[in-house]
Amino acid sequence: MSERTRTDWTAVRSIMGRDLLAVRRSKAVLLPMLLVPLLMLVLLPASVGFAANRGGLDPSQFLSFVPNGLAEPIGRYPEHEQVVILVLGYLVALAGDAFAGEKERKTLETLLHLPIRDLDLYIGKLLVGFVPSVAVSWIGFLLFCITANLTAWPTMHRAFMPTLLWAVMILWIAPGVAAVGLGVMVRVSIRVNNTQEAQQLGGAVVLPLVILAVAQTTALLLAGIWPTFLAGCVVWAIAIWLNVRGARSFTRDRMAARL
Amino acid sequence: MGASERVIECEALTRSFPSGMALDALTIDAAPGEVLALLGPNGAGKTTTMRLLNGVLLPDSGTARVLGLDPWRDGEALRRRTGVLTENAGLDERFTALENLQFVGRLRGMSESEARTRGALLEQVDMGHRADVKVQGFSTGQRKRVALARALLHDPELLFLDEPTSGLDPAATRAVVDLIGSLAADHGRTVVLCTHFLGEAGKLANRMAVLFQGRLHAFGTPDDLAAELWSRFEVRLDLGAPASPPLIEALVTLPHVHEATATDRGAIVFTSERDDVPAVVAACVAAGSPVYGVDPRDPNLEDVYFAIEARAAVPA
Repeated sequence: MSERTRTDWTAVRSIMGRDLLAVRRSKAVLLPMLLVPLLMLVLLPASVGFAANRGGLDPSQFLSFVPNGLAEPIGRYPEHEQVVILVLGYLVALAGDAFAGEKERKTLETLLHLPIRDLDLYIGKLLVGFVPSVAVSWIGFLLFCITANLTAWPTMHRAFMPTLLWAVMILWIAPGVAAVGLGVMVRVSIRVNNTQEAQQLGGAVVLPLVILAVAQTTALLLAGIWPTFLAGCVVWAIAIWLNVRGARSFTRDRMAARL
Repeated sequence: MGASERVIECEALTRSFPSGMALDALTIDAAPGEVLALLGPNGAGKTTTMRLLNGVLLPDSGTARVLGLDPWRDGEALRRRTGVLTENAGLDERFTALENLQFVGRLRGMSESEARTRGALLEQVDMGHRADVKVQGFSTGQRKRVALARALLHDPELLFLDEPTSGLDPAATRAVVDLIGSLAADHGRTVVLCTHFLGEAGKLANRMAVLFQGRLHAFGTPDDLAAELWSRFEVRLDLGAPASPPLIEALVTLPHVHEATATDRGAIVFTSERDDVPAVVAACVAAGSPVYGVDPRDPNLEDVYFAIEARAAVPA
């Protein structure tokens, strides 16, 4: 009898479903996941827009009312960069838990003794990190677009967001950067013994990626759509290479040998 | 697979880790419906054996067939037919007992309703009343029982149980031991029991494999092992007082008596077999020592185990 070669999506969904249910039940994980995008992509732009619409306040003056530590980041970072940062932030939290969390909870061995293919287990754990991170960032960006259009409506009298360039940035490049981060984080998670270690070590590896991404995306906004799209292709190529390599090197035997 | 075939057959199974040799050329087998105990202290290689036979670890060398399958080529198919209780229960504390069972049920291809129905197994391990309670607050014994129900969820043909009673109180231990016994005796399941509790192995196992530092030092039924290791038969004599030196001398001159030692209330005599006991008693009476009691003692599992351990400690 030979082993299955096709992905068992029921198994993948079951692994994802269990981990996502745990996220949904944990207020400590869920609340920041909802509140941070709400603050960064809705409340902050809305308050700036509202202040500008009132006429009594120049948007640039707004920054003088916020604490010093916050003024600089608010002034410097455009929203698309915040989306990339958000994606990677959630990714570090969720993907860091992928295997390290199982080890910490002592549930990994049980998982290895179940009739799941190594690759299906790996895909399930990848998607647990990827899907919520990208979903939250896309929903956050959608809300940002609605907020921006509503607050700018009195001045512009039309919906101006998202532009094609922003759409490429958020829908193409941000998930690509997330997939690169995922390739790094899941491999870190396999090697360490608990989630905290994974997040600290992964953060140290992923943070430079964030900085690089932020720098590159700012430049790309000036370069036009095609260079942006091509840059996204490069990011996705790196992501695919990293994740395929990760999947190939992931084996039950290696995991069990580390127990 | 025919009834005469072995459920487990492995030959020269070897696996090492960077920390050293975990299993060195293990050759064992198990028949359908048999309880096979893997006995040994921590680090003996019991869990490694279990992981190898269920296709979770790959061997450095050696061969195995489990339920007629190659554990490393057909691992997924094999694991559909085996159930495993790991040493630390491995339940996800974020979920209830029933949710833990349902998750595994889904991964074993059961429908939601089927997994829920099979959740009634929690009743069988006396955990039905806590089915909808989060595992977080469970005692070690409760976790073990839920994990056992989870291992039985898909009615496996072969069960690997790693230290199933460690951390359990005496009542829970007895309940789990009885359950394991009935799984083999009444339901014909083959059970591989990794344990360092000799009483548990003695009560349940048809055969036992004794491992030390990754090497198999003995394999067979407890009686076979005793016969192999125990060339001497122990007799405790109650003489009301320590045996005198002349009596000890008289006893050791008897045919088939290997050794005699005085104790507080008499003597311990080692003979070749049970039939030598009347001659020993007669010698005591002839020497003028009253005999108040004779306690011929067959070797128990502990004697056998520690004899094997002592033999294992002697460098080859």
